[in-house]
Amino acid sequence: MSNINGKVYAMNAITPMKPWKTWIVRVILFLLGLLKSLRQTVIDLSFIEFARWVVLPRGGFPFLGNGQKREDLRYDYLLFFSNFNGTWNQYIDAFSAVLSKGLNLIWNWSEKFPGSVPVTIFKEYIARVQFDTDYYYTAYPHATANDVKSAHIVQSSLDSLSLVAGQCSPEQFADAYLQFVLQVQTHLGETGDAPIAG
Amino acid sequence: MSKLNETDIQGFVLRGYNLPVARYLFLRFEGAARARKLIGRLLSEITTGQRWDGVKPQSTVNIAFTHRGLERLELPDATLLSFPVEFQQGMRHRAEILGDCGVNSPDHWEEIWREDRVDAWIGINGVTGESLEARCAATLSLINETGGATAISSQDAAAVVINGKPTTSEHFGYTDGFGNPDYLGIERSTQPGQGKLMPNRTWAPLATGELLLGYADEAGELPVAPIPHLLASNGTFMVYRKLHQNVATFRAYLDKQSLLYGGGKEKLAAKFIGRWRDGTPLELSPDHPDQAIVQNSNRNTDFTYGADAEGNRCPIGAHIRRVHPRDAFGFNGQLINRRRITRRGLPYGRFVPEGEPVDDTEERGIIFMVLNASLSRQFEFVQQQWVQYGNDARLGNDKDMLLGSHGGTGRFVVQGEARPSNPPFVCSNLPDFVELRGGDYFFLPSITALGMIAMGLVDPR
Repeated sequence: MSNINGKVYAMNAITPMKPWKTWIVRVILFLLGLLKSLRQTVIDLSFIEFARWVVLPRGGFPFLGNGQKREDLRYDYLLFFSNFNGTWNQYIDAFSAVLSKGLNLIWNWSEKFPGSVPVTIFKEYIARVQFDTDYYYTAYPHATANDVKSAHIVQSSLDSLSLVAGQCSPEQFADAYLQFVLQVQTHLGETGDAPIAG
Repeated sequence: MSKLNETDIQGFVLRGYNLPVARYLFLRFEGAARARKLIGRLLSEITTGQRWDGVKPQSTVNIAFTHRGLERLELPDATLLSFPVEFQQGMRHRAEILGDCGVNSPDHWEEIWREDRVDAWIGINGVTGESLEARCAATLSLINETGGATAISSQDAAAVVINGKPTTSEHFGYTDGFGNPDYLGIERSTQPGQGKLMPNRTWAPLATGELLLGYADEAGELPVAPIPHLLASNGTFMVYRKLHQNVATFRAYLDKQSLLYGGGKEKLAAKFIGRWRDGTPLELSPDHPDQAIVQNSNRNTDFTYGADAEGNRCPIGAHIRRVHPRDAFGFNGQLINRRRITRRGLPYGRFVPEGEPVDDTEERGIIFMVLNASLSRQFEFVQQQWVQYGNDARLGNDKDMLLGSHGGTGRFVVQGEARPSNPPFVCSNLPDFVELRGGDYFFLPSITALGMIAMGLVDPR
């Protein structure tokens, strides 16, 4: 019952949009999906495990019958869902600092969006539209996205080394081992507890 | 932007005095009315940011308050409650957030810091021991005359003297004091590498609001500050940390590891920090120290890490790369511009040259002081995320080699190359080279604010 699970934070934000604006957002999201270069900033922010915007059309909510009342919704909704490493403040600070144009492009069509700069008003907005996480599973609470990526590199490098190790002379092994160390030397950080949230 | 009102800002904020001796007095106030009277009497003694025009004063005096001190001065509740939470709590209560645990935990601090006893800090710097003593005596007699406070403790600090000359060396033997940022409006000869990195790879001063309250910061807004504006404006927050240095442990560890390291002892010492012990940045001269770089202020802080992503020159976890990552996290350094701090302070204790017997139990270390507009966004962030943790640098939970609380189990990876003189190397079982002995968070007000406090005129509206 928390947004935090070890080193990972889950953020859900839902913002209402006037239906005519939804089409603009659909086009923007379509183009973003098409052009990886436009998403590069989000990809380069190494503490983001996952970030996605999804349009929830007002007619798309489940209707089960059985006494459920029909709803007449006036707004479509934009769901933002992200998993990231670090604190809420750190995440939004970074978003605001390096991604403000991209965020404005997507969120400008949501009601009362104040813009992603200055950051304090942006934070107030996110806090207001954020929904807390009811259930949160994470496979590696002691690892960040960087830690997991590093572990993959260490594992595959070690596998390659062990493949050749059996057939090596001592000199050849020394060379192979040095190459292995050079491959993994930037990926040897410890996993463990996250810092305490301020 | 226009020039700042230097006469309203305490000089300690605007410049490192570069005076070789200092004493820090810790006061406990005795009655709000008398304490305010004391501040009123001290007001004309406070060294402001006004330019010295070549003539250095013989001594300087500055003052700052803990939140408790401001309570004892009976500032209005509405004002007291408007200070940022971390300042209201004080550093001791932030220990877990800061990673001040184990030998660094408040239980191990000096007595005055273990309870809420310090109300104010008075920093006195001097050109000589005599001028320092004279100014201290004058200040103490003011304190006694007014009966406004008791000096419950003091801390001496002084530049390390080598061959009869005060230096910027610290006890581990590194040349210190390169990294302070430049800020807009603060008159100082700006130096490439000391502000923020611009898209065209030049350097520009940081926004004034990263250092001083009442000015726009790097996010284009005013830093969180107490009310009224007049109390906050031209003031800043100060961190005081007494950091004990285990010089014997450091030297023994370096000696032992360098037997195993192919690059030699001095290169390994340089890899710990990111600078050779004489101050040469590894990024600019990876294979040998170079005084031509150290002496040239246009060069000695002008470097980036973008071309050294693998850490072959300066290890990813080297101290200066952690605490001032420049462009190491990409985005032209934009992720770090609101995490910069200004450092003040001096070493304390007797300097022991390399080769002479030295003992960890002797009083020796550095008085580490930080100035910043936001304790939580700047100092606490750097301490928590970059010193005691490593994810931003993609180093997992690894801590800063020198400042981290390792408890004997820490690890530091020196990235290297295939050539034998710069090999990859892992320093394991890191001990605690540095131990925190106490300190607190202080508010360092403007001259106007000091006057308001002295006259009891702080009006939160």
